[in-house]
Amino acid sequence: MIALSDYLILGAILFSISIAGIFLNRKNVIILLMSIELMLLAVNMNFIAFSYFLDDTAGQVFVFFILTVAAAEAAIGLAILVVLFRNRQTINVNDLDTMKG
Amino acid sequence: MNTIQVAEFGLLLPEIFVLVMTCVVLVVDLYLTERNRDVTYVLSLLTLAGAALLTLGNYPSGTTVAMYGTFVHDPMGGLLKLFIYVVTAGVFIYSRSYLRDRGLYKGEYYVLGLFAMLGMMVLVSAHSFLTIYLGLELLSLSLYAMVAFDRDSPTASEAAMKYFVLGALASGMLLYGISMLYGATGSLDIGEVGAAVAGSEDRSIILIFALCFVVAGLAFKLGAVPFHMWIPDVYHGAPTSVTLFIGSAPKIAAFAMLMRLLAESMGGLQPDWQGMLAILAVLSLAVGNIIAIAQTNLKRMLAYSTISHMGFLLLGVLAGTPEGYSAAMFYAVTYALMAIGAFGMIILLSRSGFEAERLDDFRGLNNRSPWFAFIMLILMFSMAGVPPTVGFYAKLSVLEAVVAIDMVWIALVAVFFSIIGAFYYIRVVKLMYFDESESDEPINVGMDMRLAISANGVVVLALGLFPGALLSLCAAAFP
Amino acid sequence: MDFERFVFYVFAIILIYAAGRVITVRNPVHAALHLVLAFFTCAGLWLLLEAEFLAITLVLVYVGAVMVLFLFVVMMLDINTSPLREGFIRYLPVGLVVASLMLLEMFLVVGARNFGAQSVAIPERHGADYSNTRELGNVLYTDYVYPFEIAAVILLVAIVAAIALTMRKRPETRYQDPSRQVSVQPEDRIRIVKMPAEREQS
Repeated sequence: MIALSDYLILGAILFSISIAGIFLNRKNVIILLMSIELMLLAVNMNFIAFSYFLDDTAGQVFVFFILTVAAAEAAIGLAILVVLFRNRQTINVNDLDTMKG
Repeated sequence: MNTIQVAEFGLLLPEIFVLVMTCVVLVVDLYLTERNRDVTYVLSLLTLAGAALLTLGNYPSGTTVAMYGTFVHDPMGGLLKLFIYVVTAGVFIYSRSYLRDRGLYKGEYYVLGLFAMLGMMVLVSAHSFLTIYLGLELLSLSLYAMVAFDRDSPTASEAAMKYFVLGALASGMLLYGISMLYGATGSLDIGEVGAAVAGSEDRSIILIFALCFVVAGLAFKLGAVPFHMWIPDVYHGAPTSVTLFIGSAPKIAAFAMLMRLLAESMGGLQPDWQGMLAILAVLSLAVGNIIAIAQTNLKRMLAYSTISHMGFLLLGVLAGTPEGYSAAMFYAVTYALMAIGAFGMIILLSRSGFEAERLDDFRGLNNRSPWFAFIMLILMFSMAGVPPTVGFYAKLSVLEAVVAIDMVWIALVAVFFSIIGAFYYIRVVKLMYFDESESDEPINVGMDMRLAISANGVVVLALGLFPGALLSLCAAAFP
Repeated sequence: MDFERFVFYVFAIILIYAAGRVITVRNPVHAALHLVLAFFTCAGLWLLLEAEFLAITLVLVYVGAVMVLFLFVVMMLDINTSPLREGFIRYLPVGLVVASLMLLEMFLVVGARNFGAQSVAIPERHGADYSNTRELGNVLYTDYVYPFEIAAVILLVAIVAAIALTMRKRPETRYQDPSRQVSVQPEDRIRIVKMPAEREQS
């Protein structure tokens, strides 16, 4: 049988991959948004594993709400991305330097 | 099967009222033309007034937990909500002329603003990690959209993107911490988690691990150094009417989040988070105050000043005593009042096609309008902590709380950096009173704005002269 | 190795591979497709944890809606990807060091010492008559009714925000207005001009 630690380690690996993704893809906003989705996936994995091993539904309910909010978040994030692209013709973070100080 | 008591909905009346009215505003606005937009504005202000009446009508005297432990009705929540209404009303009044001059006078600004305020209310009276998370996201998602609200401005959309990515990252960190807390304690209810944390010794490594993630997430949201990089760009890039909002009311909600997460659910780990907050606070005070000196843009300067003020707020919380908490609460609400005043002054001097956001735009304000120059003087003195303004008492009570727990060194550091910080506030005063003005354009704004900003300045001064009432209200929230 | 363990490892390996590809591939469309793969395998793992409802929701909501939205935006924006890769190599060492340090610390905390099979007992499997969806539904509309309502408001905010940010009326677009077409009167279309007949040249 699979222990709780196996699931948590899998969650930790996913979380680290998403942190690495944020470091590596500083320039590409789309991949940044995907890294954030991965991070939420890692959190969800943790919650569901705890929920199963504690035999408590609260963790699953939390995941339900995280999924809902993440969908709303993706919609707003992509809307901002579209507005940004219309204004700047780029999604390269390096070009986003109109503000200095 | 457990059932919910109808009386419990009575505790939620302000939230329900704000939600219903926001939906009404959303629908009514669809039928309005550009000329009748004032109806939306008035309806939004009426919503705030109604919510304030409902909150006052059922002002909490003790702590009641309702809705299956997801909602709490307590004096801290009541007082913070009242201040959130006042500050949001100020934001709406100040931003009207600014929005109209720039073709942004749309119903969505008010609808999103009210939704953000609803998120703050949920956050302030949350009693479960679930409601904290949902309130925080309701607030943040509305704010991301408001920053990008000026769709044709490249800087605004750039600021919105930065805000969004870093905000989502912070939420992810916070959630990871919460998931570990859930795993260690087996509950999402703040009361139960608090009891479990206080009682447990054996698994403390897991709790401290969770604490690290929660503190990092909170520091991002507060904008404490080293998680502050989004603050200057977002404050600078967003339309001033939105900067005004982000820089004021959410700080009150952020204080409530700190209290609910750290003091109430992880009070047993106070020695551990005290050290973390001390590092964040000292760094914020140092970086905020020093970099603010180098700024020539007033919005950026106020952004760095926010960072340093958040350092002070953290000082109060890290004391971990009721005195410290009430001092931090006093600091949060008075800072929000000062911040809307200062950003309101930028709006006051701006006009169609011109943003008065450079420091030089305040040159010689005294010649153009002695009264508004005087109000700006009060606000700047208050931010710097000069008596007899309210900022002085806010700083003083925080320092007293820190000294009371024998952390004199950190109080000395705070005083040192406040003196450095006073320099750039006083510089604004010098520019207003002793320099020649570059333009002699008359200040042309509506009566509501004039009255509101005058009241704002007077309140900051009056609270400084008579701080007793508010101080005792804050103290009453933490028996 | 029993079958369940075998399934876990297969899915875990696919999940880590897919997540790794999401952050390293050159083309955003490929990244999105790898993310879809990650969601599918994650749903499989959640089935092992008896979270059937959420596993299906993940596939329906995430793969069906969110990722399609991602792909839609990626393709609509026509992004030039080559400059976006600059600096990838430069940040690679920093990113790897930070991520692996973090992973190491996380291993020490969440590893077998604190959460292993010895310290956390593995619960009994539920019987065939257990319904995860019923269980969640029971608490969602009673114990969690307040968060549920807030989640509804969040979705409303997302709708309002997305429309306010991206919908614009283009001046060059011509619209049909059926109500005006139907209610049109002959007088609106033809204008009869009275003018004196021209006098014949005499």
